[in-house]
Formats: sequence, structure tokens, C-alpha cells
Amino acid sequence: MMLSKSNNRVRRLKLDPSLIIVILLLAIVIVCGFFLNERFGTMRNFMNVLEQSSGLGFASIGQAMVVIVGGIDLSIGAIITASTVFMAAVVDVHPGLMIPMIFGTLLFGVAIGFCNGYLTLKTGVHPLIVTLGTASILNGSVLIYTLQPTGGVPYWFEEFAYGRIWNVPISGAVMIVCFALVWLFLHYYQTGRAFYAVGGSPEAAHLCGIQSNRVILLAYSASGFFAALAGIYFVSRTGVGDPRIGDPITLSSITPVILGGLILGGGKGNIFGVLLGVIFISLLSNLLNYMNISTFIQWVIQGVIIIIAVSVYVHKGKNL
Amino acid sequence: MIRKLFGTLLLGTFIAATWTAAIADSYVGLPRTFLWNPNFNEVIDTSSYAGDGPFKIGFSNASQGDGWLGTFYHSVQYGVSQNLDKIGEFIVTDANGDPTKQISDIQDLLEQGIDLLLVNPATADALDPILGRTMRRGVPVVTVARRVESDSSFVSFVTASDTALARMSATWMAEILNGKGRVVLLPGLAGASPAEMRLEAAKEVFAQFPGIEIIDTQYTGWSPANGRQIMAAIIQREGANNIDGVWSDSGLQGSGSVEAFIGAGVTGTDIPPHTGGDLNGMYQLAHENGFPFAGIDYTPSIGAAAVQLSVDVLEGTPVPQRLDVNFQIVISPGHETRSISADVLLPEYVAVDRPGELIMGSGIPNYDPTSFSVELPN
Repeated sequence: MMLSKSNNRVRRLKLDPSLIIVILLLAIVIVCGFFLNERFGTMRNFMNVLEQSSGLGFASIGQAMVVIVGGIDLSIGAIITASTVFMAAVVDVHPGLMIPMIFGTLLFGVAIGFCNGYLTLKTGVHPLIVTLGTASILNGSVLIYTLQPTGGVPYWFEEFAYGRIWNVPISGAVMIVCFALVWLFLHYYQTGRAFYAVGGSPEAAHLCGIQSNRVILLAYSASGFFAALAGIYFVSRTGVGDPRIGDPITLSSITPVILGGLILGGGKGNIFGVLLGVIFISLLSNLLNYMNISTFIQWVIQGVIIIIAVSVYVHKGKNL
Repeated sequence: MIRKLFGTLLLGTFIAATWTAAIADSYVGLPRTFLWNPNFNEVIDTSSYAGDGPFKIGFSNASQGDGWLGTFYHSVQYGVSQNLDKIGEFIVTDANGDPTKQISDIQDLLEQGIDLLLVNPATADALDPILGRTMRRGVPVVTVARRVESDSSFVSFVTASDTALARMSATWMAEILNGKGRVVLLPGLAGASPAEMRLEAAKEVFAQFPGIEIIDTQYTGWSPANGRQIMAAIIQREGANNIDGVWSDSGLQGSGSVEAFIGAGVTGTDIPPHTGGDLNGMYQLAHENGFPFAGIDYTPSIGAAAVQLSVDVLEGTPVPQRLDVNFQIVISPGHETRSISADVLLPEYVAVDRPGELIMGSGIPNYDPTSFSVELPN
């Protein structure tokens, strides 16, 4: 059901301190970049960064939805890995199934996400443990199947990751549309707003007549869906199914969520903050590459920024 | 035919003139992998890439995650320092083993207007699309250590040959055991193409010796600590006397295996035959204890060789599509076999007074990883 409270939403968006922090960080990176390297500030570079950030962006949308309902998904990387191998292995043998496999892979992600949600609800075990277990099962299964990158997809499918329309990267545009749709869902649909209610207080939500279990199942299923979409993007980008490709993404997907001001524990936060967090991480990495700074120093800088950002939130009274 | 012969002669001249002098070890002939390659090696015309220096080269490194990779990076830096008059800018990125980050790194390098991309791919397959795009954009690509699938995705590939290294060390192991015995295989990092290629080549050899029983295969991540821990568990399970040989694709984990035997009270010549080069500590352990040993370095000097070849590409000099860099076969005294002879005996090769962490075959004069420093363009 669409709601007509857009003015309030806009006001809340403007006043949301978490958005102000990530916008400030973005501004600092962009201003520094303009001064430090003349090629950094070109539209071409910004479009490149948008393209590069798509995989992390898709994964972070799913992570954000789970975090909003008070959970966490540590199986995102494993779902990405399994999706890439599943898709590339099947399409390699049956190239004609390319299009159906896109839907098949998304369905696969939804199914794994649904299992995560179901196990969390049925067993009462903390989602951190459940999703870690799922990740272990998926990673182990994939490594039993193959230790090395495997399979392949038709060349034309590279266009999803590398293609441009009016110089805008296709994958980047899809990512922004996904963020926009999720924002609309979370803010203008009753089920979407129930995400915040369940994350804030499941008991209170239940007393208000919200079917918390359905909302939690939906959140984890959505996380699986977006992880699979990230997997599809990575297949398009690398041309193969890689049994290790998702390893770094699980933790990476939490960073923009934290930077964007979503509260680990649920119930608060703006999905656009996550988008800005994704772009900030990608721009920072891009700038540090332009500055020819060692990856190890990049880790240190990213770590320091995350700690500072979280400290600011804590200082503002947001209990992380 | 004439073109191929000309190309082969040109290639031979190129390798002989450029690389044998650079690597001052015992075997100074042409690389055996080149000599014994039954196919012709194509020579690439690079005149379309020729330009006026100084050049701007981008180096996309896969990782510096172990001792070998650290020395390899030093070798790359050494190669750059030898070409300061030709290289005006050398930009480095490190993907920490993540192919998706490496793709983004390469895009960032291209946006900075590099003249050539030198790349150590994180995986053999995943970098293929972006390197193909780089080539189509007119930026030449030189791959080092690992190649990608498509020939059209790079100009030249610089290597020390994983398969040759593994076939020789596995053959030595099978022959030193007279074709009969219980052998443990200790490959490197699961999924990393050098580890998988070496393991596959070694298994191919052991399959020809029906008396060789592979009792366990354990990935070690090329870590001495992992090598020691894994072998200690195997010794506990099998008993040290029931292990006749340890095939390790590098001395990084091989040294850990030897230490596990010493820890279990097996010392000196009672330690079963081991393979594995690269790490001076492995050579020192073999030298001190006297057990049968064969070490073949996957020479990190391919880094400097790749930089030199990159400069040649930008100067328009024809280059081979695949450049093999020499390696040395090091064997303990009295342990040469029917098929595998030593290029240099262990006592002459081991650096007794140098640190155990030293990676051999760097090609850098008086190399010390802790104090290594060279002048770089930026």
C-alpha cells in the first residue's frame, strides 16, 4: 500500500546524521582526488567506479535488508561463489540456457536465503551461527565440485559487467535501480515498513499484528536474491565460475552498511546511506590506487575510517 | 616455414642474449622448457606498440601473500631500477589474491593512461575478459607467473614453467625410491593455478610408477607453519617409518615438513627424501641433515625478466609469445637419479650464512629481503 508521507520522509532523509557522515566522507575523498590526480575527477573515472562498485552494491543491498530486521547474513559470499559456479558450469555445457539460468541462479539464491531465514526461525539459533553454517556447507560443496575456476559463459554476457549505454555502465545503472526499488519498498509499502518494526522490536511488531516470521523470511530470501545477482555480475565480469570469488565479499558487504548508518541490531537506517557507503568504499579504493599507495596501507586507511565513522555514531548516541 | 625458422632463431637469440647473462647460476644454457618444447614458439611483432620513452607502465600484482611473492615483487622493482632511463612512471596495484579487485585495479591503471600493462593474474581464467579488453584498447599486456586462457589477451607470457618443475621433482622422487614407496604430496594453495598445475603434473608422473602409493595429499598454502602442522599430523597417523618420501611443490611448506620429522625425533639421513626449492631454509635443512633432496626453484627472477620484456615491447622489439626463464636442479650429493641430474650440487648452492627466509633465484645481486631497496621512478 502506497503511503503519502513523502514530505516527512524527505525531512528525515535530510536530517539523518548517518547520511551526513557518509556524504562528508564522500566529499573529502572527491575533493582530495581532484587535488591529487588530474585524471581522478573525470566523468569517465566516476563511471568506472560505478561499474566496479556494482558487485559490492548488490551484496550490500541484501545485507542491509537483513540487518534492518535485526539479523546478519554471513553466507552472502558463499552464495555468490556457489551462484557463479552453478551458473558458469551449467551454461558451459548448455550455452542455450544462458537466459533461463539467470532466473535459475536468482531462484537458487532465494532458496538458500529462505533456508537461512527458516533455520533461524525454527531453531532459534542466532543468524550469525546459522548463516556461518550455511556458508560452510556451500563453500565445502563448491570446493568438492571444483578447486579451480570452471565453466564459462558466452562473450555477449560480458556486456552486463562491462557494457555502457550513453556511457553509463549497465551494471551500475541496474545497481542504482535496485537501491531505488528497495528504498521505495522499505518506505512506501506496508510490508517494507514492517522490516523496521521487526528490527526495532519483534515483540512489539508482533503485538501490532505484523507477521514477523514472514518479514524475516522475506529479508533473508531477498539477501539470497541479491547475493545471486552479485554472483551473476561476477560471472559476467570474469567469464567463469570461481570457487573463491565470494570469500572477501561477506565482510565487505557489512562495511557500507555500517558506514551508511544502518544499526547492527536492526530497526534503523536508510538504504541510500548504504549506496553512498558502497560508492565511498569504491571511490576510496580508486583514489588510493591513483595515489600508488600499497594495498596494505589501503586496509589500514579503510579500517581507520570505519572506526572513526562508528565512533561518531556511538558519540551521537546510536548504540551499535 | 622460413618465417617460423626465422622466428625461432630470433627467439633463441633473444633469450640467449637477454636472460642467460642475467641469471648467474650454474646452468647457463637455454631454458630446457624452450629447448624441449615440441612446438614452435611464435614471435610477436610489437612495432605497433613502439613509442618514445620514458614509458608509463602499470603493474597489477595478484598478491604479496607469501615469501616467494615478496621476492618476486622485489625482482620486478629491480627490473624497473635497471631501466630508469626508459621507464618514467611505474604504478603498482595489489589485489590481495582477489580477481575481482584485480579487474578494478586494471581499470584504474588504464584510466591513468598507462602505455603497457604488466600483470601477475590472480587466477588463470578470471582475468581473461578484462585483459582481452585491454589489448583491444591498444594497450599491450605482458603476463608473468600465470597466463590467461586466450592467446589474444596478451602479447607475451613470462614463466619458469610449473609443469616442468613438477615433472622433474616427481620423477626424481619416484626414481630415488626405486619406483616403490609410500609418498605424501604437499601442494601449495588449493585453487591457485601454479599449485594445481604442479600437482597434476606430479600425479601424472607418479601414475607411471605402480609401486608408488600416494598415502595423502594436503594443501599447505605455501606456508612453512602449515607444512609442519600437516606433516606432524600425518606422522602421528602413519608413523614416521611408514612414510618413504615427501613431494612438496616448494620448500616453503617442505621446510615445515622436515621440521615435523625432526620434531618427531627423526633426524639426519633418517628423514625420508624430500623435494622443494625456493626457500634457503629448505636447502639449509637438507644440507645439515644429509637426507636425499631435490630442489628446483620457481625463479622469482621472472619479475625482472618481465619488466625488461615490457620495455622491449614498448620499443618495438619482437618478443616471444612465451618467455621461459631458467631454473636450476639442485640435488644432494650422491642422489642423482637415472633421469634427473643435478645442475648444481646442494653444498655449492645452499647459502649457509644467509637467512633461512631468503628466497633463492631472485637474480638480484647480494639480495637481502629485509634491506632490499632500489631507486624507482616515482
